[in-house]
Amino acid sequence: MKVKFFATYREITKCKEAYIPTQPDVWSLLHYLSGVYGPEMKAKLFTADGNDIGQDAILLINGRNIAHLGGKNAPILDTDTISLFPMVAGG
Amino acid sequence: MTSWIGTILRVDLAAGTIKKEPLNMKDAHDYVGARGLGTKYFCDEVDPKVEPLSPENKLIFMTGPLTGTAASSAGRYEVVAKAPLTGTIGAANSGGHFGPELKFAGYDGIIFENASETPVYLYINDDKVEIRDASELWGKTVYETTDLLNESCGESFKVACIGPTGENGCLFSGVMNDKHRAAGRGGMGAVMGSKKLKAVAVRGTGSVSVARPNKFKEAFVDARAKLKADPIGGAGMAAFGTEVLVNIINESGALPFRNWRDGAYFDEADKTGGEALADQYLVKNKGCFGCSICCGRVTRVPDGPFKSVGEGPEYEAGWSYGADCGISDLAAICKANFLCNEYGMDPITLGATIACAMELYEAGALPQEDVGFPLRFGDPHAIVDLTLAVGKNEGFGKTLALGSYRMAEKYGRPELSMSVKKQEMPAYDGRAIQGMALEYATSNRGGCHVRGYLTSPEILGVPLKTDPMVTEGKPALLKTFQDLTALIDSLGICLFTTFGLGLPEIAAQYREAIGSDESDEEILLKGERCWNLEKHFNIAAGVEKDTLPPRLLREKLPSGPAAGKVAELYDMLGEYYSVRGWDQDGVPTDDKNAELGIKYESKILCDI
Repeated sequence: MKVKFFATYREITKCKEAYIPTQPDVWSLLHYLSGVYGPEMKAKLFTADGNDIGQDAILLINGRNIAHLGGKNAPILDTDTISLFPMVAGG
Repeated sequence: MTSWIGTILRVDLAAGTIKKEPLNMKDAHDYVGARGLGTKYFCDEVDPKVEPLSPENKLIFMTGPLTGTAASSAGRYEVVAKAPLTGTIGAANSGGHFGPELKFAGYDGIIFENASETPVYLYINDDKVEIRDASELWGKTVYETTDLLNESCGESFKVACIGPTGENGCLFSGVMNDKHRAAGRGGMGAVMGSKKLKAVAVRGTGSVSVARPNKFKEAFVDARAKLKADPIGGAGMAAFGTEVLVNIINESGALPFRNWRDGAYFDEADKTGGEALADQYLVKNKGCFGCSICCGRVTRVPDGPFKSVGEGPEYEAGWSYGADCGISDLAAICKANFLCNEYGMDPITLGATIACAMELYEAGALPQEDVGFPLRFGDPHAIVDLTLAVGKNEGFGKTLALGSYRMAEKYGRPELSMSVKKQEMPAYDGRAIQGMALEYATSNRGGCHVRGYLTSPEILGVPLKTDPMVTEGKPALLKTFQDLTALIDSLGICLFTTFGLGLPEIAAQYREAIGSDESDEEILLKGERCWNLEKHFNIAAGVEKDTLPPRLLREKLPSGPAAGKVAELYDMLGEYYSVRGWDQDGVPTDDKNAELGIKYESKILCDI
């Protein structure tokens, strides 16, 4: 499955996108990414107690925010594209 | 003592007179300042049927009660006039340092009346205020004008001026201050040009007091700390600027592509995003007066055909010249944006107008001989050349200077103008973000994103996450956002503070600055009052009904998460009018007028 990184996540991963082994859901995906990219990634993806998704992570599955797909339990298919952003804004 | 100076300047450009008047403190109380107060003065004094470029239209510069204070990002002021592009109330907000400097000089605002016969500028050096000859400035660019005034008046003067496009009546020319900051939308620059007013140069040595200094300090320290701790207001905006939005809006399938004709996803968008800008052309970031966010971009294209230096682009301009024109050449986008600043134009409208011309050309409605070359989507030289043509008022630039609606109407295809009330919509597709569809349709100054930015909750999840695909709950949410935005614009602080602050922090700073004990809700009501006053003016001016371009209502998005969607405006509009306390034609009811203390009579809105 494909994961696309943006803004500060590119600084952590040193790449714009990666193909990773299929993960069953968002929570598993976040643990996988933390394992691959280390403590800095983990600190952004999880809250301090490790029980929830961190404030500085916006996740889209095929363009839909996971908040509308089941949150951390949102299922992922092998054909899905995940987009990972920090909190961004503008206008 | 309050954070108001208590004095405004009234400048009759025909008579050549300058009067100092006491600020109307009752109106300042009821309408807060800047956008609200400027609109109140304007509505009291100007016939809503006035021709926007006639001497009878007035031009008001108004600061807010927090402008020039230590409140978070308090460098804003508002320019108010009837807008030539839309025929609506025109209220355009700008940052930089000009607004605070006006208060330091001893004035809360300036009302310009009538028109001069010859080019002039207003010189303000504390108590010394003069109308001066600007013959040698006429025809100069924004950068040249600012430099010349800084040479003749002094380096410490802050300058707001128009470029050549304001002189030439370009319907989307802006009032530019500090060279790169713009009261950009609706054509405020053309109003200024119609009065033969080239610039205002101001220097002030005073300061802005507050009513309760200790409590005010507590309030702004709290606000600034929260802003700094926020991931957006703290580090995010400084690192990547507003262009960072390109990718998240694109990935969400909401980035309008090729004049909104070809969906809302651009597969080369990443080349135009904030990451690419930071990587390739960013020299440093920059902040306005008293701002810790520092979203401004100082940028340089070092070589190549678009070699240039300037500021920006911001997200909306990056989109209008980028995805909307099918262009991924970031150097060309930078160059076109720099030219807009230099010549004093709104890049949202101009980029979108060029995109519309590209579609007209490809549809066979716009002859090549009118443009001078084949005008196809994706041509980076076209956006730069045509922007310069508008700036210099040459060739096809004269037609582009009308904006997309009048241009498309001229070629028999007005439906291809992606505008609301003749002002171009910005960079969020209302078919993919339903709340933004309602926002565009109901905006009091035509197609606009900063009148109730529902992209924040619908895409960014700030301050709450709402689903962009659904319409339920959006009318009430939009009303709150519109009222809060009107309040913030009226206070003289930056709208971006809302990414880290809520009403409690914002209202606290206001209370302590002016010495008020009003509740948060009472303060927010002033934003609603501003919104309703604007609506009254538009109704009296005969502004067209609230709707969207037919493309958004009928043409389904072809792909992405919102594939198959159109803008479900009419699922929301009736409910929106209800939650606003308006009738189903969108007219404020007597009960709402009484609640807000607005008494509306024929052409002029009277005192509360």
